[in-house]
Amino acid sequence: MPAISYEDLTPGYEFPPASYKLTPSFVSQYIKAVDSSSDEFVPPIAIAACAMSAMAESVSFPPGTIHASQELEFFKLVPVGTVINCQAKVVRKLARTMMRMLVLELNVLDENKERVQSGKATIILPAERANAQ
Amino acid sequence: MLSEIRKGLTLPPVVKHITQEKINLYAQASGDFNPIHIDEAFAAQTPLGGTIAHGMLILAYVSEMMTQAFGENWASNGKLSIRFKAPARPGDTVTANGKIDSIENQEGISSVNCSIGCCNQKDETIITGEAIVKLPLRERTANV
Repeated sequence: MPAISYEDLTPGYEFPPASYKLTPSFVSQYIKAVDSSSDEFVPPIAIAACAMSAMAESVSFPPGTIHASQELEFFKLVPVGTVINCQAKVVRKLARTMMRMLVLELNVLDENKERVQSGKATIILPAERANAQ
Repeated sequence: MLSEIRKGLTLPPVVKHITQEKINLYAQASGDFNPIHIDEAFAAQTPLGGTIAHGMLILAYVSEMMTQAFGENWASNGKLSIRFKAPARPGDTVTANGKIDSIENQEGISSVNCSIGCCNQKDETIITGEAIVKLPLRERTANV
């Protein structure tokens, strides 16, 4: 599926949902990357990273895009091996002279459709690159 | 886990050293290959002047601090709101820090409100924000 561009995003746009299996190898790789210790449960920020990745896979953000703020709420422990479903939606889009900003709403459910976590991410895109798309 | 939970308590900090290797590992684990994190030649041409760590990598350190303080309650009943104020760069030593600002008890639940953040070795703020953890009152009382 071709990636949607920043210009095509509008408030209310829902990114295609994506499912991930939080395999032992993924969790192990993540824990090594964040220099932490292993656990039977998946670190909640690893799940948030999956949700962000799910969104990023379907949109073409320009190089230099940065993460400005993050809200997250965690609802349950998630054992390694769980399949999660990640949903993301554009809730706000702002353009300024030097940059553009997107506010995204994130929701993660498990295979029983129970809420795992939700949140909001604000990302900032460089204006000249965004204009070029 | 904390042996006591009270207003004003400083949470045990988590200290990490940032390297480009760790940033590259995080890019592989997260699937976030934005060149601002991993392409030193590209990053050098941006206003940031060099590669920076993923914000979610630094946030993971803050979350680790909260897990060490509050155990599984953090991952099952935690909430945070943070802003990324400055980048963390390879070579930085970052410290995730937190403090209990207030505790509200209601209907058998303690809501522990914390200020949280992360700073670098120059004491520059990288992350600032707030977090709330809900604890069963019985558990909290047992820890006091």
